[in-house]
Amino acid sequence: MRQEESEAIVLHHLDYNDADRIVSFFSLEQGLLKGFAHNARKSRKRFGSALELFAYVHLRWSGKASGDLVSLQDAELIDLHSGVRRDVGALALASYGCELVEALTAEAQSCPEIFHLLRAFLGHLSKAGLSLEARLLFELRLFSQLGYAPHFLHCSACNFPLDGDEVAFSANGGGGLCLECAPAALPLRVSPMTLGTLGRCLQAPVTLFEGFRFSERTLQEAGGVLQDILRQHLVRPLKSQSFMEQMLAGKARVKAIR
Amino acid sequence: MLDWKIHPSFSRLVFELGKLPGIGKKTATRLALFILRQSSGDAESLAAAIREVKERTRFCSICFHYTEQDPCQLCTDPARDSEYLCVVQEPQDLLVVERSRSFRGRYHILHGALSPLDGIGPEQLKIAELMIRLEQGSVREVLLATNFSVEGEATAHYLAGLIRPLGIRVSRLAHGIPLGSDLEYVDEATVNRAVEGRQFLTE
Repeated sequence: MRQEESEAIVLHHLDYNDADRIVSFFSLEQGLLKGFAHNARKSRKRFGSALELFAYVHLRWSGKASGDLVSLQDAELIDLHSGVRRDVGALALASYGCELVEALTAEAQSCPEIFHLLRAFLGHLSKAGLSLEARLLFELRLFSQLGYAPHFLHCSACNFPLDGDEVAFSANGGGGLCLECAPAALPLRVSPMTLGTLGRCLQAPVTLFEGFRFSERTLQEAGGVLQDILRQHLVRPLKSQSFMEQMLAGKARVKAIR
Repeated sequence: MLDWKIHPSFSRLVFELGKLPGIGKKTATRLALFILRQSSGDAESLAAAIREVKERTRFCSICFHYTEQDPCQLCTDPARDSEYLCVVQEPQDLLVVERSRSFRGRYHILHGALSPLDGIGPEQLKIAELMIRLEQGSVREVLLATNFSVEGEATAHYLAGLIRPLGIRVSRLAHGIPLGSDLEYVDEATVNRAVEGRQFLTE
Protein backbone atom coordinates (compact mmCIF):
# COMPACT_ATOMS: atom_id res chain seq x y z
CA MET A 1 0.00 0.00 0.00
CA ARG A 2 1.37 3.44 -0.92
CA GLN A 3 2.63 5.56 1.94
CA GLU A 4 1.59 9.21 1.93
CA GLU A 5 2.63 12.10 4.12
CA SER A 6 1.72 15.74 4.40
CA GLU A 7 1.30 18.63 6.76
CA ALA A 8 -2.29 18.67 7.98
CA ILE A 9 -4.75 20.26 10.40
CA VAL A 10 -7.04 18.11 12.55
CA LEU A 11 -10.63 19.24 11.97
CA HIS A 12 -12.64 16.75 13.98
CA HIS A 13 -12.24 13.41 15.68
CA LEU A 14 -14.49 10.70 16.92
CA ASP A 15 -13.55 8.08 19.48
CA TYR A 16 -14.20 4.59 18.19
CA ASN A 17 -14.12 1.35 20.19
CA ASP A 18 -11.92 1.41 23.29
CA ALA A 19 -8.79 3.03 21.92
CA ASP A 20 -9.26 3.90 18.24
CA ARG A 21 -10.06 7.24 16.71
CA ILE A 22 -11.58 8.41 13.43
CA VAL A 23 -10.03 11.71 12.38
CA SER A 24 -11.06 14.28 9.77
CA PHE A 25 -8.11 16.36 8.65
CA PHE A 26 -7.27 18.90 5.99
CA SER A 27 -3.92 18.16 4.38
CA LEU A 28 -1.70 20.48 2.40
CA GLU A 29 -1.19 17.88 -0.33
CA GLN A 30 -4.60 16.23 -0.68
CA GLY A 31 -7.14 18.49 1.00
CA LEU A 32 -9.90 16.95 3.13
CA LEU A 33 -9.39 13.33 4.19
CA LYS A 34 -10.74 11.01 6.87
CA GLY A 35 -8.51 8.51 8.59
CA PHE A 36 -8.64 5.62 11.02
CA ALA A 37 -6.05 5.81 13.80
CA HIS A 38 -5.78 2.36 15.33
CA ASN A 39 -5.08 2.42 19.08
CA ALA A 40 -4.60 6.21 18.93
CA ARG A 41 -5.84 6.91 22.44
CA LYS A 42 -3.38 4.46 24.00
CA SER A 43 -0.34 4.89 21.77
CA ARG A 44 1.47 7.94 23.09
CA LYS A 45 4.47 7.11 20.89
CA ARG A 46 2.75 7.11 17.47
CA PHE A 47 0.30 9.94 18.02
CA GLY A 48 0.81 11.56 21.44
CA SER A 49 -1.34 14.68 21.54
CA ALA A 50 -1.04 15.23 17.78
CA LEU A 51 -4.61 14.16 17.00
CA GLU A 52 -6.16 16.80 19.25
CA LEU A 53 -8.61 19.22 17.61
CA PHE A 54 -7.02 22.08 15.62
CA ALA A 55 -3.53 20.55 15.88
CA TYR A 56 -1.14 21.41 13.03
CA VAL A 57 0.76 18.19 12.40
CA HIS A 58 2.91 16.20 10.02
CA LEU A 59 0.83 13.10 9.27
CA ARG A 60 1.77 9.80 7.64
CA TRP A 61 -0.84 7.43 6.28
CA SER A 62 -1.36 4.59 3.84
CA GLY A 63 -4.20 4.10 1.31
CA LYS A 64 -7.78 3.35 2.21
CA ALA A 65 -8.01 1.04 5.21
CA SER A 66 -11.72 0.39 5.02
CA GLY A 67 -14.42 2.21 3.09
CA ASP A 68 -13.51 5.87 2.75
CA LEU A 69 -10.91 5.99 5.52
CA VAL A 70 -7.14 6.10 5.11
CA SER A 71 -5.07 4.28 7.69
CA LEU A 72 -3.11 6.73 9.86
CA GLN A 73 0.40 5.51 10.73
CA ASP A 74 1.76 8.26 12.97
CA ALA A 75 1.72 12.00 13.54
CA GLU A 76 4.26 14.56 14.59
CA LEU A 77 2.96 17.66 16.33
CA ILE A 78 4.03 21.03 14.90
CA ASP A 79 1.65 23.41 16.70
CA LEU A 80 -1.18 22.55 19.10
CA HIS A 81 -2.68 26.08 18.86
CA SER A 82 -2.91 25.91 22.63
CA GLY A 83 -4.25 29.47 22.97
CA VAL A 84 -7.60 28.15 21.69
CA ARG A 85 -7.81 25.93 24.80
CA ARG A 86 -7.68 28.94 27.10
CA ASP A 87 -10.55 30.87 25.53
CA VAL A 88 -13.98 29.34 25.00
CA GLY A 89 -14.81 32.07 22.44
CA ALA A 90 -11.75 31.12 20.38
CA LEU A 91 -12.77 27.46 20.72
CA ALA A 92 -16.20 28.33 19.34
CA LEU A 93 -14.86 30.21 16.31
CA ALA A 94 -12.10 27.65 15.62
CA SER A 95 -14.71 24.85 15.72
CA TYR A 96 -16.95 26.83 13.36
CA GLY A 97 -14.05 27.39 10.93
CA CYS A 98 -13.10 23.71 10.90
CA GLU A 99 -16.72 22.57 10.52
CA LEU A 100 -17.20 25.02 7.66
CA VAL A 101 -14.13 23.67 5.82
CA GLU A 102 -15.31 20.10 6.36
CA ALA A 103 -18.82 20.93 5.14
CA LEU A 104 -17.85 22.93 2.05
CA THR A 105 -14.81 21.13 0.62
CA ALA A 106 -14.83 17.88 -1.33
CA GLU A 107 -12.70 14.96 -0.17
CA ALA A 108 -9.21 14.36 -1.58
CA GLN A 109 -9.06 17.57 -3.63
CA SER A 110 -5.86 19.50 -3.11
CA CYS A 111 -6.33 23.17 -2.21
CA PRO A 112 -3.17 24.56 -0.57
CA GLU A 113 -4.70 28.06 -0.29
CA ILE A 114 -7.47 26.76 1.99
CA PHE A 115 -4.87 24.90 4.07
CA HIS A 116 -2.81 28.09 4.51
CA LEU A 117 -5.97 30.10 5.25
CA LEU A 118 -7.10 27.66 7.94
CA ARG A 119 -3.65 27.45 9.49
CA ALA A 120 -3.35 31.26 9.68
CA PHE A 121 -6.90 31.54 11.06
CA LEU A 122 -6.22 29.05 13.89
CA GLY A 123 -2.86 30.70 14.62
CA HIS A 124 -4.59 34.08 14.86
CA LEU A 125 -7.34 32.77 17.16
CA SER A 126 -4.75 31.09 19.35
CA LYS A 127 -3.02 34.44 19.88
CA ALA A 128 -5.81 37.01 19.66
CA GLY A 129 -8.98 35.09 20.59
CA LEU A 130 -12.50 35.53 19.24
CA SER A 131 -13.35 38.48 16.99
CA LEU A 132 -16.05 39.32 14.46
CA GLU A 133 -13.34 40.58 12.08
CA ALA A 134 -11.59 37.19 12.05
CA ARG A 135 -14.86 35.41 11.35
CA LEU A 136 -15.74 37.77 8.51
CA LEU A 137 -12.29 37.51 6.87
CA PHE A 138 -12.22 33.72 7.17
CA GLU A 139 -15.69 33.22 5.67
CA LEU A 140 -15.04 35.69 2.88
CA ARG A 141 -11.68 34.16 1.89
CA LEU A 142 -12.98 30.61 2.12
CA PHE A 143 -15.91 31.44 -0.18
CA SER A 144 -13.50 33.11 -2.58
CA GLN A 145 -11.16 30.09 -2.64
CA LEU A 146 -14.13 27.81 -3.28
CA GLY A 147 -15.26 29.99 -6.18
CA TYR A 148 -18.35 31.30 -4.36
CA ALA A 149 -17.33 34.98 -4.23
CA PRO A 150 -20.19 37.09 -5.64
CA HIS A 151 -20.09 40.47 -7.42
CA PHE A 152 -19.26 43.11 -4.83
CA LEU A 153 -18.36 46.15 -6.92
CA HIS A 154 -20.74 45.89 -9.90
CA CYS A 155 -24.42 45.08 -10.25
CA SER A 156 -24.61 41.39 -11.06
CA ALA A 157 -27.55 42.03 -13.44
CA CYS A 158 -26.59 45.18 -15.43
CA ASN A 159 -22.84 45.27 -14.59
CA PHE A 160 -22.89 48.98 -13.69
CA PRO A 161 -20.72 50.06 -10.72
CA LEU A 162 -22.65 49.97 -7.44
CA ASP A 163 -23.09 53.43 -5.86
CA GLY A 164 -25.62 55.53 -3.97
CA ASP A 165 -26.67 55.15 -0.33
CA GLU A 166 -28.06 51.68 -0.57
CA VAL A 167 -27.93 48.59 -2.81
CA ALA A 168 -29.48 45.13 -2.61
CA PHE A 169 -27.68 41.83 -2.22
CA SER A 170 -28.71 38.38 -3.34
CA ALA A 171 -26.27 35.46 -3.31
CA ASN A 172 -28.77 33.57 -5.46
CA GLY A 173 -28.84 36.48 -7.93
CA GLY A 174 -25.04 36.59 -8.21
CA GLY A 175 -24.21 39.29 -5.61
CA GLY A 176 -24.78 43.05 -5.38
CA LEU A 177 -27.73 44.50 -7.31
CA CYS A 178 -28.49 48.14 -8.04
CA LEU A 179 -31.95 49.27 -6.91
CA GLU A 180 -33.18 49.40 -10.52
CA CYS A 181 -32.33 45.72 -11.08
CA ALA A 182 -33.23 44.39 -7.62
CA PRO A 183 -36.72 42.87 -7.16
CA ALA A 184 -38.73 44.97 -4.70
CA ALA A 185 -39.25 41.96 -2.43
CA LEU A 186 -35.50 41.39 -1.93
CA PRO A 187 -35.00 42.05 1.80
CA LEU A 188 -31.20 42.33 2.09
CA ARG A 189 -30.21 45.99 1.68
CA VAL A 190 -26.67 47.15 2.40
CA SER A 191 -24.39 50.11 1.84
CA PRO A 192 -22.25 49.86 -1.32
CA MET A 193 -19.36 50.81 1.00
CA THR A 194 -19.84 47.49 2.83
CA LEU A 195 -19.65 45.52 -0.42
CA GLY A 196 -16.65 47.61 -1.45
CA THR A 197 -14.93 46.75 1.84
CA LEU A 198 -15.56 43.05 1.25
CA GLY A 199 -14.18 43.35 -2.27
CA ARG A 200 -11.06 45.15 -1.02
CA CYS A 201 -10.52 42.56 1.75
CA LEU A 202 -10.13 39.94 -0.96
CA GLN A 203 -7.08 41.81 -2.25
CA ALA A 204 -5.19 41.21 1.03
CA PRO A 205 -3.10 38.03 1.51
CA VAL A 206 -5.25 35.08 2.69
CA THR A 207 -3.05 34.57 5.76
CA LEU A 208 -3.29 38.15 7.04
CA PHE A 209 -5.72 38.59 9.96
CA GLU A 210 -4.02 41.24 12.08
CA GLY A 211 -4.78 44.94 11.74
CA PHE A 212 -8.35 44.81 10.34
CA ARG A 213 -10.95 47.05 11.99
CA PHE A 214 -14.50 47.47 10.68
CA SER A 215 -17.34 49.74 11.81
CA GLU A 216 -20.36 48.21 13.57
CA ARG A 217 -22.46 48.83 10.46
CA THR A 218 -19.95 47.10 8.17
CA LEU A 219 -19.72 44.10 10.50
CA GLN A 220 -23.49 43.78 10.73
CA GLU A 221 -24.19 44.20 7.00
CA ALA A 222 -21.24 42.05 5.91
CA GLY A 223 -22.40 39.35 8.35
CA GLY A 224 -25.80 39.32 6.61
CA VAL A 225 -24.18 39.14 3.16
CA LEU A 226 -21.90 36.24 4.13
CA GLN A 227 -24.75 34.34 5.78
CA ASP A 228 -26.77 34.73 2.58
CA ILE A 229 -23.87 33.19 0.60
CA LEU A 230 -23.49 30.43 3.18
CA ARG A 231 -27.17 29.49 3.00
CA GLN A 232 -26.75 28.86 -0.74
CA HIS A 233 -24.08 26.23 -0.22
CA LEU A 234 -24.73 24.47 3.08
CA VAL A 235 -26.84 21.34 2.94
CA ARG A 236 -27.28 21.13 6.73
CA PRO A 237 -26.92 23.65 9.56
CA LEU A 238 -23.58 23.67 11.38
CA LYS A 239 -23.62 22.42 14.97
CA SER A 240 -21.00 24.93 16.05
CA GLN A 241 -22.78 27.97 14.64
CA SER A 242 -25.34 28.56 17.41
CA PHE A 243 -22.64 28.03 20.06
CA MET A 244 -20.45 30.62 18.33
CA GLU A 245 -23.35 33.09 17.97
CA GLN A 246 -23.92 32.83 21.75
CA MET A 247 -20.25 33.56 22.42
CA LEU A 248 -20.18 36.51 20.00
CA ALA A 249 -23.38 37.94 21.51
CA GLY A 250 -21.85 37.64 24.99
CA LYS A 251 -18.67 39.41 23.85
CA ALA A 252 -20.70 42.19 22.21
CA ARG A 253 -22.68 42.66 25.47
CA VAL A 254 -19.48 42.95 27.51
CA LYS A 255 -18.07 45.44 24.98
CA ALA A 256 -21.28 47.51 25.15
CA ILE A 257 -21.20 47.59 28.99
CA ARG A 258 -17.53 48.68 29.00
CA MET B 1 -22.79 -19.56 13.91
CA LEU B 2 -26.47 -19.72 14.84
CA ASP B 3 -28.79 -18.56 12.08
CA TRP B 4 -30.79 -15.46 13.12
CA LYS B 5 -33.81 -16.63 11.13
CA ILE B 6 -33.94 -19.82 13.16
CA HIS B 7 -32.85 -18.22 16.45
CA PRO B 8 -34.23 -14.66 16.57
CA SER B 9 -33.86 -14.50 20.38
CA PHE B 10 -30.14 -15.28 20.13
CA SER B 11 -29.70 -12.63 17.43
CA ARG B 12 -31.52 -10.12 19.58
CA LEU B 13 -29.17 -10.82 22.50
CA VAL B 14 -26.10 -10.43 20.22
CA PHE B 15 -27.54 -7.16 18.88
CA GLU B 16 -28.18 -5.80 22.40
CA LEU B 17 -24.76 -6.86 23.73
CA GLY B 18 -23.13 -5.31 20.67
CA LYS B 19 -24.41 -1.90 21.81
CA LEU B 20 -22.07 -2.01 24.84
CA PRO B 21 -18.90 0.09 24.56
CA GLY B 22 -15.91 -1.82 23.18
CA ILE B 23 -18.02 -4.84 22.18
CA GLY B 24 -17.99 -5.79 18.51
CA LYS B 25 -20.13 -8.45 16.84
CA LYS B 26 -17.64 -11.26 17.48
CA THR B 27 -17.33 -10.50 21.20
CA ALA B 28 -21.10 -10.03 21.47
CA THR B 29 -21.61 -13.48 19.94
CA ARG B 30 -19.06 -14.99 22.35
CA LEU B 31 -20.82 -13.37 25.33
CA ALA B 32 -24.22 -14.50 24.10
CA LEU B 33 -22.94 -18.11 23.77
CA PHE B 34 -21.53 -17.86 27.31
CA ILE B 35 -24.90 -16.71 28.64
CA LEU B 36 -26.57 -19.55 26.75
CA ARG B 37 -24.27 -22.05 28.45
CA GLN B 38 -25.03 -20.65 31.93
CA SER B 39 -27.79 -22.09 34.09
CA SER B 40 -31.20 -20.42 33.94
CA GLY B 41 -30.61 -19.13 37.47
CA ASP B 42 -27.37 -17.36 36.51
CA ALA B 43 -28.93 -15.82 33.40
CA GLU B 44 -31.96 -14.72 35.43
CA SER B 45 -29.66 -13.19 38.03
CA LEU B 46 -27.79 -11.16 35.36
CA ALA B 47 -31.07 -9.89 33.90
CA ALA B 48 -32.36 -9.01 37.39
CA ALA B 49 -29.13 -7.14 38.23
CA ILE B 50 -29.45 -5.02 35.09
CA ARG B 51 -33.13 -4.34 35.80
CA GLU B 52 -32.46 -3.48 39.45
CA VAL B 53 -29.60 -1.07 38.76
CA LYS B 54 -31.74 0.78 36.22
CA GLU B 55 -34.71 0.97 38.58
CA ARG B 56 -32.83 2.03 41.71
CA THR B 57 -30.07 4.27 40.42
CA ARG B 58 -30.58 7.96 39.74
CA PHE B 59 -28.57 11.16 39.94
CA CYS B 60 -27.75 12.77 43.27
CA SER B 61 -29.58 16.10 43.35
CA ILE B 62 -26.46 17.86 44.70
CA CYS B 63 -23.40 16.47 42.90
CA PHE B 64 -25.11 14.57 40.02
CA HIS B 65 -23.21 11.36 40.68
CA TYR B 66 -25.07 8.05 40.32
CA THR B 67 -26.71 7.06 43.61
CA GLU B 68 -29.38 4.84 45.11
CA GLN B 69 -30.14 7.33 47.88
CA ASP B 70 -30.50 11.05 47.36
CA PRO B 71 -28.36 12.91 48.46
CA CYS B 72 -25.53 10.45 47.87
CA GLN B 73 -23.03 9.22 50.47
CA LEU B 74 -20.32 11.54 49.19
CA CYS B 75 -22.55 14.58 49.73
CA THR B 76 -23.69 13.53 53.21
CA ASP B 77 -20.40 12.17 54.60
CA PRO B 78 -19.56 14.47 57.56
CA ALA B 79 -15.87 13.51 57.35
CA ARG B 80 -15.53 15.31 54.02
CA ASP B 81 -14.47 18.94 53.84
CA SER B 82 -17.25 21.04 52.32
CA GLU B 83 -14.89 23.94 51.67
CA TYR B 84 -13.27 22.05 48.78
CA LEU B 85 -15.17 21.10 45.63
CA CYS B 86 -13.77 19.02 42.78
CA VAL B 87 -15.48 19.49 39.38
CA VAL B 88 -15.21 16.55 36.98
CA GLN B 89 -16.59 15.83 33.51
CA GLU B 90 -18.02 12.32 33.98
CA PRO B 91 -18.89 9.93 36.86
CA GLN B 92 -15.90 7.72 35.96
CA ASP B 93 -13.58 10.70 36.51
CA LEU B 94 -14.89 11.00 40.08
CA LEU B 95 -14.00 7.35 40.64
CA VAL B 96 -10.45 7.99 39.40
CA VAL B 97 -9.95 10.94 41.80
CA GLU B 98 -11.44 8.90 44.66
CA ARG B 99 -9.11 5.97 43.90
CA SER B 100 -6.13 8.30 44.25
CA ARG B 101 -7.16 8.99 47.90
CA SER B 102 -5.75 12.49 47.48
CA PHE B 103 -8.95 14.51 47.76
CA ARG B 104 -11.30 14.59 50.74
CA GLY B 105 -13.64 17.37 49.65
CA ARG B 106 -16.93 17.13 47.76
CA TYR B 107 -17.66 16.70 44.04
CA HIS B 108 -19.72 18.12 41.19
CA ILE B 109 -20.18 16.24 37.90
CA LEU B 110 -20.79 18.30 34.75
CA HIS B 111 -21.81 15.33 32.56
CA GLY B 112 -19.73 16.47 29.62
CA ALA B 113 -17.59 19.35 28.39
CA LEU B 114 -18.29 22.32 26.13
CA SER B 115 -18.03 21.06 22.57
CA PRO B 116 -19.20 23.32 19.73
CA LEU B 117 -18.62 20.57 17.14
CA ASP B 118 -21.02 18.29 19.00
CA GLY B 119 -23.49 21.11 19.72
CA ILE B 120 -22.86 20.95 23.48
CA GLY B 121 -23.11 24.39 25.09
CA PRO B 122 -23.31 25.52 28.72
CA GLU B 123 -27.06 24.71 28.87
CA GLN B 124 -26.44 21.03 28.17
CA LEU B 125 -24.09 20.70 31.17
CA LYS B 126 -24.68 20.96 34.95
CA ILE B 127 -23.08 24.41 35.03
CA ALA B 128 -26.12 26.39 36.25
CA GLU B 129 -26.50 23.85 39.09
CA LEU B 130 -22.82 24.29 39.97
CA MET B 131 -23.17 28.08 40.14
CA ILE B 132 -26.28 27.86 42.35
CA ARG B 133 -24.41 25.45 44.61
CA LEU B 134 -21.42 27.80 44.87
CA GLU B 135 -23.58 30.85 45.55
CA GLN B 136 -25.44 29.06 48.34
CA GLY B 137 -22.63 27.05 49.90
CA SER B 138 -19.47 27.51 51.88
CA VAL B 139 -16.98 26.45 49.20
CA ARG B 140 -13.57 28.20 49.44
CA GLU B 141 -11.75 26.38 46.63
CA VAL B 142 -12.90 24.74 43.42
CA LEU B 143 -10.55 22.18 41.84
CA LEU B 144 -11.25 21.91 38.10
CA ALA B 145 -10.51 18.32 37.11
CA THR B 146 -11.90 18.28 33.58
CA ASN B 147 -9.98 16.39 30.87
CA PHE B 148 -6.89 17.81 29.20
CA SER B 149 -8.51 17.72 25.75
CA VAL B 150 -9.32 20.97 23.89
CA GLU B 151 -12.91 20.78 25.15
CA GLY B 152 -11.96 19.93 28.74
CA GLU B 153 -9.43 22.72 28.98
CA ALA B 154 -11.74 25.31 27.41
CA THR B 155 -14.49 24.23 29.83
CA ALA B 156 -12.10 24.69 32.77
CA HIS B 157 -11.21 28.21 31.62
CA TYR B 158 -14.88 29.04 31.04
CA LEU B 159 -15.79 27.86 34.55
CA ALA B 160 -12.85 29.72 36.09
CA GLY B 161 -14.20 32.92 34.50
CA LEU B 162 -17.63 32.31 36.09
CA ILE B 163 -16.36 31.26 39.52
CA ARG B 164 -13.61 33.82 40.24
CA PRO B 165 -16.04 36.79 40.59
CA LEU B 166 -17.68 34.89 43.49
CA GLY B 167 -14.44 35.29 45.46
CA ILE B 168 -13.76 31.55 45.41
CA ARG B 169 -10.23 30.27 44.73
CA VAL B 170 -10.00 28.24 41.52
CA SER B 171 -7.34 25.57 40.97
CA ARG B 172 -6.64 23.16 38.11
CA LEU B 173 -5.11 19.69 38.16
CA ALA B 174 -1.37 19.82 37.43
CA HIS B 175 -0.15 18.13 34.24
CA GLY B 176 3.16 16.81 33.01
CA ILE B 177 5.25 13.64 32.90
CA PRO B 178 3.47 10.52 34.24
CA LEU B 179 5.12 8.95 37.30
CA GLY B 180 7.42 6.04 36.43
CA SER B 181 7.74 6.97 32.75
CA ASP B 182 10.88 7.67 30.71
CA LEU B 183 11.20 11.19 29.33
CA GLU B 184 12.21 9.92 25.87
CA TYR B 185 8.78 8.34 25.34
CA VAL B 186 6.74 11.40 26.32
CA ASP B 187 5.19 13.51 23.52
CA GLU B 188 6.39 17.05 22.77
CA ALA B 189 3.25 18.85 23.94
CA THR B 190 3.33 17.17 27.36
CA VAL B 191 7.05 17.93 27.80
CA ASN B 192 6.32 21.54 26.77
CA ARG B 193 3.62 21.83 29.47
CA ALA B 194 5.84 20.12 32.03
CA VAL B 195 8.64 22.64 31.38
CA GLU B 196 6.17 25.55 31.54
CA GLY B 197 4.76 24.26 34.84
CA ARG B 198 8.13 23.29 36.36
CA GLN B 199 8.53 23.60 40.14
CA PHE B 200 11.54 24.69 42.16
CA LEU B 201 13.00 22.12 44.48
CA THR B 202 13.10 23.34 48.04
CA GLU B 203 15.01 21.88 50.95
